[in-house]
Amino acid sequence: MVDLTVQQKINEQLFEKLELAYFCVDHSMIIKDISDNLGDYGYGALKVGDNIEDCVDFMVGMDTKIELDLPLVASPSGTPISVSLLPSDNQLTVLIANASIQADQRQLLQQKANENELLVHQQKKLMAQLEQASLELEYKNKQLEEASRLQTSFLSGVSHEFRTPLTSIIGYTNLVKQDLQKVSQELVPRISRSDNSPHYLRAVQRSSKHLLSLVENLLDHGKLDSNEIVIRPKTTNIAELFEDVELLLQPLSNTKRIELVTDIKLPDNALAVLDDSRLRQCLINLVGNAVKFTDVGSVTLTVSLSDDMLVVKVVDTGLGISKADLEKIRLPFWQGADTGKAGTGLGLTITERLIELMGGELVIESELGRGTTVEFELPAPLVYRDEPANSLDDIPVQPLKILLAEDDSDIADLVCLMLGERGIDVQCVENGALAIEAVVQGTFDLILMDIHMPIMSGYDALAELRARGDNTPVVVMSASAVDADKAKAIDLGCRGYLVKPVDVDDIIGMAGQVIS
Amino acid sequence: MQKKKICMVGDFSVGKTSLTQKFVNNVFSDKYLTTIGVKIDTAEIDETKLIIWDVAGRDSLSPINASYLVGATGVVLVCDGARSSTVSDLLDIWKTVTDRIGEVPAVVALNKADLPEWNIDVSMYTAFEQRGWDVFATSAKEGDNVNKMFEKLVEKLSS
Repeated sequence: MVDLTVQQKINEQLFEKLELAYFCVDHSMIIKDISDNLGDYGYGALKVGDNIEDCVDFMVGMDTKIELDLPLVASPSGTPISVSLLPSDNQLTVLIANASIQADQRQLLQQKANENELLVHQQKKLMAQLEQASLELEYKNKQLEEASRLQTSFLSGVSHEFRTPLTSIIGYTNLVKQDLQKVSQELVPRISRSDNSPHYLRAVQRSSKHLLSLVENLLDHGKLDSNEIVIRPKTTNIAELFEDVELLLQPLSNTKRIELVTDIKLPDNALAVLDDSRLRQCLINLVGNAVKFTDVGSVTLTVSLSDDMLVVKVVDTGLGISKADLEKIRLPFWQGADTGKAGTGLGLTITERLIELMGGELVIESELGRGTTVEFELPAPLVYRDEPANSLDDIPVQPLKILLAEDDSDIADLVCLMLGERGIDVQCVENGALAIEAVVQGTFDLILMDIHMPIMSGYDALAELRARGDNTPVVVMSASAVDADKAKAIDLGCRGYLVKPVDVDDIIGMAGQVIS
Repeated sequence: MQKKKICMVGDFSVGKTSLTQKFVNNVFSDKYLTTIGVKIDTAEIDETKLIIWDVAGRDSLSPINASYLVGATGVVLVCDGARSSTVSDLLDIWKTVTDRIGEVPAVVALNKADLPEWNIDVSMYTAFEQRGWDVFATSAKEGDNVNKMFEKLVEKLSS
């Protein structure tokens, strides 16, 4: 048993060590006893006999008969305290202990935990905002895609509507020109030397071709914008391709009295895999531009092939481009302000994009007054084949029997005339249904089919022919240059696709390929 | 002068200390310092001396210590109008209050009304009003509705 005096001493030391203070109140909240260290916690003014609720805020509303622990209370001195209310029969003893250490530890932990939780909340909020922004972007992107699709659809519609009358204008102008030549040969003496008709016809032809290239450029630009242009590489005789371009542009350079020099270092009959029509388009544009902007001197086209890479360089001695304009020439619809040369301002933009799509890069170097050099390299893997490629000479032009389904009577007459002049027998019908009927009744070497026709479209007629098991080769001849239309026609079994306006040689060439 | 103990309760970092300090000392600080335990302040409204217990907020580590509520005659339920979870949490916190001291007069502070992202769901607002609570869109920063809210609580305590 521990002696009572010893026990009291232990208690006193414990009180001191724990910095314990206390006060006792009766059930009327009147102070009965206080420890002398209450001042350490800011309660130094307490006196026996005072009402505790007037002196100690945390005692307001307390019940003297309820035991209660109040941890970590901020005392008036600023020291955090732990308060224990210990009721007994006749009084309530309130023990106050210094809780600084617990408070400090807790503060550190709690602050970090709460800040972390706030950060997580902030992160979640940001993620939600990001997700929302991403959804909005996706929606806007879809809207833009739709707008772009509508634009392309509008452009292809306009292009289609322009091509049909242009087919007539260009075709009939050719016929009139041929007739005029025949007449002038037969009646030379009677035609006055001052007759300007051939000159006028050339102007009509030039303007029609310009209008056609404008329509084609607008359509290509729209398709490039909406990523609808697909590069279709195929085996191509590249030397022939460059010779074609040279032949095509030679008259223009002759007219301008500048020299068109070609330095083509390609193996004879070299076959390479590339998209010949898009490459041809790029070459015509680049060489055409060089000729257009050169008034004196020459344009040199250099071509070589090395390690399956086709290297093309066009050098002119023309106007040249200033440093400031060099940055702008790639922008769509941009045209040099002072050149006075007509154009859409789309040619170079389209060419550059096409070269990129074909795996190359267009490099332009120029100096004002000293000419321009444009250069690009394209992947062109060589193909080795023993059989020579088809040429126009191999095509059995006669005796061909062709069925033409075309609802535009002007174009139908024109095609009949042009093919008739080459000795081809053409039967013409106005829609797909009549074409089916004609095929049932007769035999044809080839069907030339328009797409947009009344009663039965070309698509439906193609499907019907396939369903009937008819094997007559069909070549679609449409004013639509949209890849999707072409793909649909090929899916339905057509063997070739010609875009109006078509030349008689195009039809015969395609017929040769398809029939062979 | 009658003395009334009231408690500020709500989730952590909703602005209980800021509202108390704005009301008692007319000060505001942007710095966040979490309250440990409880801080006690006093303020007078008419003939009433309010003993305001600014109780540490509820967080993921610890619930509200209900001992602090003993003796309170009213509560201010505080939430952050820019943190929707703290608004709905008020219903849980109210349960803690009633379990310990029963139904007492209460007002609601939808705090941080100065923030652009402050947004209260109409259904929550209606739920609070249906419980008979007076609801205030407060801003400890700007002082909006702070005094009005405490005055309303005192009015409810006196009636």
